[in-house]
Amino acid sequence: MGENANYIIEIQNVGRTFNTASGPFQALKSVNASIPEGVLTILKGRSGSGKTTLLNIVGALDQPTTGRVIIEGQDVSRLNDYQRETLRRKKIGFVFQSVSLIPTMNAFQNVEFSMRMAGVKGDHKKRVEECLKMVGLGSRMHHMPSEMSGGEQQRVAIARAIAHGPSIILADEPTAELDSAMAAEVTKLFQEMTKKEHITIVMTTHDVGLMDAGDMVIELENGVQISQNAEA
Amino acid sequence: MLKVMLQKIWHKKWMVICLLLGSILLIATVVSFPLYRNASYDRMLVDEFDDYLAEKGEWPAMLKFMIMVQKDKNGETIGKMEKTLNELDGVLGVTGKEKVFYYSLSRAELASTTGRSDVDADGLRLGFMSGLPEHAKIISGRMFCDGGMDENGVIEVVVSQECLINNNLLVGETLEFLYMADKKGSPFRIKVVGVFEEQDSTDFYWQVRPSSLGIVALTDEQLFRDTFLGERAEKYTITCYYYDLFNYEDVTAVTANNLYDKTVYYQEQSGVKSTMSAPVYREIMERYFAKRTRIEATLFILQVPVLVLLGAFLFMISGQMYDMERNEISVMKSRGGSSAQMLRLYLYQSIFLAVIGAAGGIPLGAQFCKLLGSTQNFLEFNVRRRLNVTFDATVWKFAAGAMLACVLIMTIPALKHSRLTIVKLKQSNALKKSALWEKLFLDVILLGISLYGYYNYSKNKEMMVMSVMEGQSLDPLLYLSSSLFIVGMGLLFLRLQPWVIRLVYLLGKRFWRPASYAAFMENVKNGRKQQFIMLFMILTISLGMYHAVVARTILQNAKENEEYLVGSDILIKEVWTKTPSNSSNPNAGGPAFIEPDYRKYSSMPDVEAYTKVYSDASASFKTKDKGQMGCTLLAIQTKEYGLITDVSEEITEKAYRLYLNELATEPKGVLASSNLRDSLGFKIGDEVAYKDKYGTTIEAKIIDFFDYWPGYQPTSLVTGADGTAQKQTNTLLVANLATVQKKIGVYPYEIWAKLKPGCDSTNVYAWIRENDVHVNKFRDKAREMEQVVRDPLLQGTNGVLTMGFIVTIILCAVGYLIYWIMSIRSREMVFGVLRACGMHKGELFHMLIDEQLFSGVLSIFAGIGIGTLTSRMFVPMLQMAYAASNQVLPMKLIVNQTDMNRLYVVIAGVMATCLLTLLILVLKLNVTKALKLGEE
Repeated sequence: MGENANYIIEIQNVGRTFNTASGPFQALKSVNASIPEGVLTILKGRSGSGKTTLLNIVGALDQPTTGRVIIEGQDVSRLNDYQRETLRRKKIGFVFQSVSLIPTMNAFQNVEFSMRMAGVKGDHKKRVEECLKMVGLGSRMHHMPSEMSGGEQQRVAIARAIAHGPSIILADEPTAELDSAMAAEVTKLFQEMTKKEHITIVMTTHDVGLMDAGDMVIELENGVQISQNAEA
Repeated sequence: MLKVMLQKIWHKKWMVICLLLGSILLIATVVSFPLYRNASYDRMLVDEFDDYLAEKGEWPAMLKFMIMVQKDKNGETIGKMEKTLNELDGVLGVTGKEKVFYYSLSRAELASTTGRSDVDADGLRLGFMSGLPEHAKIISGRMFCDGGMDENGVIEVVVSQECLINNNLLVGETLEFLYMADKKGSPFRIKVVGVFEEQDSTDFYWQVRPSSLGIVALTDEQLFRDTFLGERAEKYTITCYYYDLFNYEDVTAVTANNLYDKTVYYQEQSGVKSTMSAPVYREIMERYFAKRTRIEATLFILQVPVLVLLGAFLFMISGQMYDMERNEISVMKSRGGSSAQMLRLYLYQSIFLAVIGAAGGIPLGAQFCKLLGSTQNFLEFNVRRRLNVTFDATVWKFAAGAMLACVLIMTIPALKHSRLTIVKLKQSNALKKSALWEKLFLDVILLGISLYGYYNYSKNKEMMVMSVMEGQSLDPLLYLSSSLFIVGMGLLFLRLQPWVIRLVYLLGKRFWRPASYAAFMENVKNGRKQQFIMLFMILTISLGMYHAVVARTILQNAKENEEYLVGSDILIKEVWTKTPSNSSNPNAGGPAFIEPDYRKYSSMPDVEAYTKVYSDASASFKTKDKGQMGCTLLAIQTKEYGLITDVSEEITEKAYRLYLNELATEPKGVLASSNLRDSLGFKIGDEVAYKDKYGTTIEAKIIDFFDYWPGYQPTSLVTGADGTAQKQTNTLLVANLATVQKKIGVYPYEIWAKLKPGCDSTNVYAWIRENDVHVNKFRDKAREMEQVVRDPLLQGTNGVLTMGFIVTIILCAVGYLIYWIMSIRSREMVFGVLRACGMHKGELFHMLIDEQLFSGVLSIFAGIGIGTLTSRMFVPMLQMAYAASNQVLPMKLIVNQTDMNRLYVVIAGVMATCLLTLLILVLKLNVTKALKLGEE
């Protein structure tokens, strides 16, 4: 069990080694962090610093070689595949760097799909509309992903990530393909969500301009955690 | 460029293997057509010649010339004739079997040198027959010596027995010609040294039988030539017969044309035309050519759908490959690669594949051809019956054509892609539009055309039968109608399928589990992309079914019909000798015969039952108002006849045995064919007076009418003098043998026998030989059935359909698998997203199964449905094109469950492989890799 129930995510001595053609490559070395509920955490670092690897491990998409991740007091590394998948679909929302919408579904259906996956009961339509309005796409609900710009698609992805009411949103470079105004807007949206919906958000970025937006910043360099500054 | 191409090919090896498979099959199918055609035509021609030989006992492949030469200066005319004759085989392109020159001088009077005065005064013809010593048997005396002249200058001759007797000659006697002298003026003398006859009476050398040489004395050829020909020829009148026999077994489909053309030339244009008799084989060949045209057209028509499918397969796979390369192409283009360069790259690739395809396809085509020739039944082969495969120019032309087609089909999809830039690609990705065929209502149009064809043909069935009878091939439009029907139905299904899916989706919109939901969305949005593969599945399955049913039905009906027409397993009619004219005649109107011993048949081996059947095809009966009318009289022993023959109850009004019982209980009654009732107004209980061929009248009471009777053809088509077919009604009366024999006497009857189960006629043949039974007529049902199967048209049809079925199944399996695997692979990213969102592997698998259900499985069912419907509609008409001339039994649609099961097993195998591949894919799917997450 976690040492402190207030921390929704606890990262304990997490290391990850990949077996590559040129021998083992250590992407993460003993990272430790405890993230409280309802904060926006920014994972910072240059390309190749291991931030996406860490995010994948937190999101139970990948397994750490050493250490463990505890989410809501539950040791993720002790869960089997099926339980991890269930954890993902109920508790976690993902926003990926590249286009991650299902191309055969329109914006509405994409968002509604995550509710279907999580098995959310009740009126989906209202919630979907609410989420899409929140990301500013209330008027483009029935457009297909291919008919939307990159920023719009990313916002649909965010709406999808929150629709089923997860406690955690993991966003991998959500702003990388957006212009700076749009990036700021997305970040602002994240901030609002932590406040309004009390969601814990972890996002990676290498955009220095966004660092201040976070309640908490974890900085990685070559797989090593070089700083963690919690909100004062 | 070559390196780029080879790299590309290696990179896409699975697609390339598919393209190769398609090219190989396409080329093999195309090449097998001329190969099979030639090989089966060879056999067909030989069969035609064989039939003639068997029927007439004469060697059919023979040319005969006769010339009578008078005052031939220096023997020029004869010299020219001989030159022509010696060149003949070479010009005709055949190998000689026997060449017989038979020359004789005009008849000249002779006198015996011994002074015997009763020698026939009209004299003899002196002559020679080339090769005589090798073919003749001396029955008295000896053969003339080498050189033909004894030391006294006397010409030695041999004569036939007829000549010896007719002319009252003696062996060993020397005769002197009264008015024929040699150079010195002394009369020619001949000495009869022997009497000859045929060494072997079946030897085709004997075009002139010794028995017909009643006034001919034959001597040595060289002596005759030296003495009477050349410079000396002008002094004599010489009659020359030339017989040129050649081996018809060696005539092939390729050499047949030349043979025929040259024969016609000799007969109609050459300098020797007036001396030539019309060769019998000309008619045989004409019949063969007519049959050949019909077969060629029919087989070609049957192959078209398979070729179209093969083309579609290549088109689809290469399209798929280019789709996969779209990104590469557009990147290359954006970096300055020209369209022409792209196109050239693909052209080279296509040529490369086509060449390898030809290297594999041509030998495979030869195997296909062998397979075709050994087809016994649909999907059944008899390995012992193989065709000779010969490659001639046509085969290479076909192969070249097929290669060209392959190259075009594989390059055309590139045309579209080579103009693509990355910008256009993005634009086209965003576009969605309905397919051209949907906008054009192609499905409706095709269905309209095919149904019009269907309607037209079903209205004009009679006309079709007639036209087939006149030797026309299967009407291409009829077969086309059925193919168009299949395509039209397939397209219609594709038009309706999305609506069905949408309806099901809407019905349970709120309740669908995520997996099914995602599958529905995939199908609703991306279904269009799958239309081609779905159509392909539908076409392969329905064509496969249709072909199976066509092949089975045609063959089975032909067999059953033959079985019906032949009547019994074995039919033997002995040679009956007439009784000496002075003995009393027990028969009423005709000649008296000595009945052969009937009891001996009890020792016939392998026979279950046998009976006497008297059949008289020249009987007649008195109609109510149209005078005397011809009919066939069949007199039977009901009990035994019933054991030996049968007619399926499916087609008779009441059980066949009941008819026999009625006849058995009414000795004086007759059973009559139903046309007596239907068109001549007879009723049951009416008296009918019929006459046998010798004019004896028998009064009988009609006890029943039948539609079918073993061997009875209610109507037959006869080809008139102008080549048009006419329908003729046949009447049959069946009476008790005892009654008939009592009235008219005992005439040569037939023995009908039924073999024990599992026995063939081998032992019966042996029994006939051992017991020295002189057989006048012998029919063996098994052999006739085999001939039906061996008929080149039927066999070719069977072969083409079997081959088509196999090719179709391969295509269906490979096509579907490849399409699925490729399209699934291209969606890995989406699967990654789904998995990241927490979709379980089982759900992902479930989703893919659902997708298969919506496209693949639905297509399979549609294919089965369309195949069944097409068979029901079109097979009855197609069948007519095959069995029109003597088809009696009503056509039955034969659906062989085993064939269907084979088809289903293959489909199930394909689907299982698909599922397995999907399962592996899902299990192996790495989410982070699929989403390109994380560092590697």
